[in-house]
Amino acid sequence: MINGNEAIMTNLTRRNFTVLAGAALAPLFAPAVLGQGKPKLVVIGGGPGGGTVARYVNKDLKGAVDVTLIEPQKKFTTCFFSNIYVGGYRSFQSITHGYDKVRREGVRLVHEAAASIDRDKREVALAGGKRIPYDRLVVAPGIDIKFDSVPGYSEAAAQVMPHAWKPGPQTELLVKKLNALKDGDTIVMIAPPNPYRCPPGPYERVSMFAHVLKKKGHKKSKIIVLDPKPTFSKQALFLEGWEKHYPGMIEWQDPKMHGGIKGVDPKTGEIRTDLANYQATLANVIPAQWAAKIARDASLADQSGFCPIDPENMKSKMDANIFVVGDACIPGDMPKSAFSANSQAKVAAMMIGGELGNARTFPARYSNTCWSLIETDDDVKVGGSYEPGEGRIKATTTFVSQKGEPAELRKQNYKESVDWYTSIIGDVFG
Amino acid sequence: MLAAMDGLRRSLWWTLASVIAALPMDFTLAAPDVELGRYLSAECVTCHRGATAKSTIPNIYGLAEKTFVAVIKAYREKRLNNAVMQNIAGRLKDEEIEALAAYFARTRRP
Repeated sequence: MINGNEAIMTNLTRRNFTVLAGAALAPLFAPAVLGQGKPKLVVIGGGPGGGTVARYVNKDLKGAVDVTLIEPQKKFTTCFFSNIYVGGYRSFQSITHGYDKVRREGVRLVHEAAASIDRDKREVALAGGKRIPYDRLVVAPGIDIKFDSVPGYSEAAAQVMPHAWKPGPQTELLVKKLNALKDGDTIVMIAPPNPYRCPPGPYERVSMFAHVLKKKGHKKSKIIVLDPKPTFSKQALFLEGWEKHYPGMIEWQDPKMHGGIKGVDPKTGEIRTDLANYQATLANVIPAQWAAKIARDASLADQSGFCPIDPENMKSKMDANIFVVGDACIPGDMPKSAFSANSQAKVAAMMIGGELGNARTFPARYSNTCWSLIETDDDVKVGGSYEPGEGRIKATTTFVSQKGEPAELRKQNYKESVDWYTSIIGDVFG
Repeated sequence: MLAAMDGLRRSLWWTLASVIAALPMDFTLAAPDVELGRYLSAECVTCHRGATAKSTIPNIYGLAEKTFVAVIKAYREKRLNNAVMQNIAGRLKDEEIEALAAYFARTRRP
């Protein structure tokens, strides 16, 4: 399917191509894929990465590319803002979205799991056996949980000790257990090791646990966080906020304090560390993570378990016909977040537009902001701008909220985050 | 009379030439690159797409170009407060701000 023109384009640097396009030479290039009807883009995963690529390619190329989005769920619950649901600020329905608008825009939706990728034949095999051919493939399946990274933990144990790090029934189970707690009960969270989805997420979740317990009038309940990391995202801000809003309720332990996480027993609710055993009424075990199986099975991941990409265009380093965006990729200095996935998806969509639709391309730019709610109207943020540099997606400038900021600013942050959620949902789901 | 007209013409040319010479090196008379603006706008859309008159994040679709340019430059120079916007505006060059302004002025909110 690669013709001569595509080979020429591949050999041009991105900047050179921009210059050539600007010099009105673009009409000399025929569309990248010819002779087989419309070029075919297939996207695996309908979250903030995959959904964005599918919509943007479909919209930007005005139907010149056949776009198929493979997503097993008909309704997608977002992991981002699921903590806001845990805190009782939003309903589960408000973080759950369908694909009707995406379909109406012209994207072909396939609500079936993708089982495997045949890179040689350029086909995706569905769980039901059907095969979908592609000219370009976007792999955006998110993460898988490494259940065995915590001894005693398993997929079955997650029904008793939810991880709730993949949204849906797990998140609802977590909230059900949280709301059933009585004063004096203990919550134990096992935080994940780096790298993982949403770096400030576990600590925002702890804040939301505390908010719910405080609101219920609990005086004796405790939240213990067992962390395999010596430090965590927005640490100073969370520690300050916990002390301010929930004095004495939250105890965060780094490896020096617990000596190592030894394992869990889902039958008894016991959690063992090197130095102590804890009896948890609610255990929230968030294990280590890696790229979802379909990406690893297709040999798109390296020894880290995540997928290396070219920072100039989000292409897999393993296969020039495949782009990997979102939590499954190795995003350099960017965190694994919905904002990052959406930003990476837009770069990938632009590059795909150049390759399949002869559209003009520009140098890649990325950005991210992560908001975290500590208590009602006390919201902090961290973010940055990113560009390709030193072989990775490199931070060019960053910012983070400061300790002791005025309450009005923190309240403004929360309102901002709610507006962002509305906007990014529109960007992903139409 | 003809000599006077010629002199006036010459002085006009000199005036114009000196104005052009005084312009910054990167000044061009080209119209803003709306296509570049459209690409760069993807970053803005993530937060501004769903903005309404009542939202904290303001609507920027249909905004007058001059206003857009003035506001983004104020964020770039940290004369307006918002860490996210200061960071985003911080890496935008003048022609990129103008391209964005041109794009949003011509585009309706989705």
